[in-house]
Amino acid sequence: MLAYVARRLLIMIPTLLAISAISFAIIELPPGDYLSTMIAEQEARGEGVDQGRVAWLREQYGLDKSLVERYAMWLGGVVQGDFGYSFEYRMPVTEVVGDRLFLTILLTFATTLFIWVVSFPIAIYSATHQYSVGDYGLTFLGFLGLATPNFLLALVLLYFANVQFGTSIGGLMDPQYLDQPMSWAKFLSVLEHLWVPVIVIGTSGTAAMIRRLRANLLDELQKQYYVTALAKGLGPRKALLKYPLRMALNPFIADIGSILPQLISGATIVAVVLGLPTAGPLLLSALQSQDMYLAGSFVLWLAVLTVVGVLLSDLLLAVLDPRIRLGGGTAR
Amino acid sequence: MRRMFIHGIGARARRVLAPAILAAGLAAAAPAWAVEPVDTPSLAPRVEAGALPPVAERLPDTPLVVDIAGRGGEIGEHGGSWNWLARRAKDIRIMNVYGYARLVGWTPDFELVPDILESIEVEDDRIFTLHLRPGHKWSDGAPFTTEDFRYEWFDVQLNEDLHPYGPDTRLLVDGERPEVTVVDEHTIRYEWSKPNPELLPALAGATPLYLYAPAHYLEQFHEDFADPEELGEIVEESGYQDWIAVHIVNSDLYDADNPDLPTLQPWVNTTDPPSERFVFARNPYFHRIDAEGRQLPYLDDAVVTIADSSLIPAKTGSGESDLQSRSLRFDNITFLKEGAERHGYDVRLWDTALGAEIALYPNLNAADPVWRELNRDVRFRRALSLAINRQEISDIIYFGLARPSNNTALPASPLHDPERSALYTGYDLDRANALLDEIGLTERNNEGLRLLPDGRPLEIIVQTAGERTVEIDVLQLIADSWKEIGVGLFPSPSSREVFRQRVYSGEAVMSVWYGRDNAIFTASTVPIELAPVDQAQLQYPAWGQWVQTNGEAGTPPDMPFGERLMALYTTWRTATSDEDRRAAIDEMLDIHAEEVDTIGVVEGVPQPVVVTNGLRNVPDKGVYSWDPGAHFGMYRPDTFWKE
Repeated sequence: MLAYVARRLLIMIPTLLAISAISFAIIELPPGDYLSTMIAEQEARGEGVDQGRVAWLREQYGLDKSLVERYAMWLGGVVQGDFGYSFEYRMPVTEVVGDRLFLTILLTFATTLFIWVVSFPIAIYSATHQYSVGDYGLTFLGFLGLATPNFLLALVLLYFANVQFGTSIGGLMDPQYLDQPMSWAKFLSVLEHLWVPVIVIGTSGTAAMIRRLRANLLDELQKQYYVTALAKGLGPRKALLKYPLRMALNPFIADIGSILPQLISGATIVAVVLGLPTAGPLLLSALQSQDMYLAGSFVLWLAVLTVVGVLLSDLLLAVLDPRIRLGGGTAR
Repeated sequence: MRRMFIHGIGARARRVLAPAILAAGLAAAAPAWAVEPVDTPSLAPRVEAGALPPVAERLPDTPLVVDIAGRGGEIGEHGGSWNWLARRAKDIRIMNVYGYARLVGWTPDFELVPDILESIEVEDDRIFTLHLRPGHKWSDGAPFTTEDFRYEWFDVQLNEDLHPYGPDTRLLVDGERPEVTVVDEHTIRYEWSKPNPELLPALAGATPLYLYAPAHYLEQFHEDFADPEELGEIVEESGYQDWIAVHIVNSDLYDADNPDLPTLQPWVNTTDPPSERFVFARNPYFHRIDAEGRQLPYLDDAVVTIADSSLIPAKTGSGESDLQSRSLRFDNITFLKEGAERHGYDVRLWDTALGAEIALYPNLNAADPVWRELNRDVRFRRALSLAINRQEISDIIYFGLARPSNNTALPASPLHDPERSALYTGYDLDRANALLDEIGLTERNNEGLRLLPDGRPLEIIVQTAGERTVEIDVLQLIADSWKEIGVGLFPSPSSREVFRQRVYSGEAVMSVWYGRDNAIFTASTVPIELAPVDQAQLQYPAWGQWVQTNGEAGTPPDMPFGERLMALYTTWRTATSDEDRRAAIDEMLDIHAEEVDTIGVVEGVPQPVVVTNGLRNVPDKGVYSWDPGAHFGMYRPDTFWKE
């Protein structure tokens, strides 16, 4: 087991290196650099830019160096915990992201909880009452949630919340709390705003979760051990919850691997539409303005979270389901 | 020798004597009506606690008395705050545009008057003597004197570390640096051997040329002044490489991102970025007062909340902004009006300074030789312009509010000429067809499209920056009418970056963008938008590049009208009278109208301005102009107040 984990960790290093190098190169692909984006934007608004200053900035930001040099410089910093400098915000990348991380984690956590709470009972009901009116009805609702474009639902709910409850549009709290320290009133304001994105992002996730759990559970319900348990007189509720349901939980565990990267990039479109102060829109704007180091750091963290998440869910699955063997392929 | 003395209201202001002078024994000179400065209620606690001197000591000896009534406004009361929404944290710099405290500034009638300066003397447009207001103070209470100008010029602009590429180009006349003389604590002189008519407009700009910097604050970051050990610690703490970066990052008077940097603006940023909400507090040392002696600004603070640009119309429409124009567009008007009553605000429609809301730019420097030849044929450009049904576009897209016009001086400009605006804008398909036949484009393919000399169909790909959906709508209507003269049109949206790249490289045959940024031309408008002096001019990018790089890149203006424009540009720069400058601009406008080098479609599309109920002194009808004007700036938001 330990050897397996160590080997997986070692494999991560070249994987991450390759991902960061490729993403760095891709970010560089569009013509121009951050400064030319900035100049284009300012000129379009009639704000002139002194060419001497631009040349100085280019030197200062290291944009006059070659791609390889810049990548090496940045990577050298990353190893020491310095993720570089955001041109757009004129401050270190870690400081830019820091503020947004808490709200992003809160949102992802709330959404995941919403998905589980909604899909769990529905899936069990659908599986145990297969092809009933309830099964069809709930499945239909789930698919409706999946099929409705997120941004549309977001706009409708936003309008509804504003007109009915007077909730301020966009963001995760009323504007007056933005620069306040955490307080009960601020927390309530966050809750007041949080339900819209949670429902919007959640509805799209529940359908998939319902279908997977339902299918897994159906498989289990036909197996002999379940039939035997019922035949031996075990109560239907206990028989269901104690054995087949536990087996069917695998998709929840496997999902942990994809939840971690979602901390950063999850539901970016919804976050942009709703103006949420989460990490997704930050990544998007960093890519648009070619804010190299900010975007590069984001992609690197995404990659780290993905590989770590996958490893975590692999390990958890092995712990929870004895039928799964780690390193089976290499042992053979 | 021509000598001009821009005095504005300085002379009258001098009689509004501040007690500081009274104490100096000049009491006898005080006229009976001199007003007593009135302090701000919200600052009273700090004054009582001794943290702030009383208002009389905070104001300059001769404050600027704003004639609010003369501007059509009314005297207001202190208090309240101004909330508005910005797209990005970087946009808090716009507070310094709205604040619009400049050495000299534009009035709504587009006249230049002294503002921070008490007065300025101009001799032959080459010697500029600036007179500061004695007793004027920075927002931290330190005196604002010629030392701040001296520091900016000698220790910043001329410092080889801070400005390795030399001083700001706006301070150079054909490469020549000014001779700067500090006369006394309140008087400083800038002198060139040739006229510099661009100086005053640059000082009054929305993004102004700063001749001063708070020396008392910045010296701690400057190698020549600071104690090496202390500076070393500051650099260490900041995380930057050297003192140069620290100085530059901390000294930007325009960006408003350093709350510690003293300023002269009506509101001072108090929030350290990054944040989603920035609070600008009133500057207790601001130099303007109203006629009854109240120190401006009336509004205690301005709060800028960051929101995504697509959400700003929605948030404004639910009453979350007190005064908003940024990120609001023409197509938001119906939505905004719908919420006006429910959320208590007013939607006002201001004129813009755009020469055209939408303009087509045939690329005279197109890389393809066949297209280049055709674009360079004035008959071709005229034919295209004549085949646009401008009234139909106005009626369908702009509710009939837009006026058909080419891309030239607006009616608000003293150089406006209705005939010139209408030149080649009438919808005349016969004449357009005749012009194209005359060029020799008579062959057509089976779809009815004319053929280029080399046999390709005449299909124009129009590049768009992909930012305004309305561009595509307008292009669709133009495509319909161009089809009648056998010309195909296909829009190609991309991103702004790629768009510019394609135009600059000549890959683009034609592009669509806004018209001239500032089409309210006066004799003193620097005609950078009328001559090929900038690559960003989409009809002749290579010419602009050639001029910008002194001939190192691009191609020289190789058409007679381009050469003539350059000659007129030089004439304007070296002229010493307003009549000569006016004549130069007039001729340039004539040339552009005749040559149709940009095809303006419509002008006069209004900019929505949302004003919350109870916010007074915001004009019902204004001109929404970036430079000159600084959007709200020239209407002096420091005189806006809340009931």
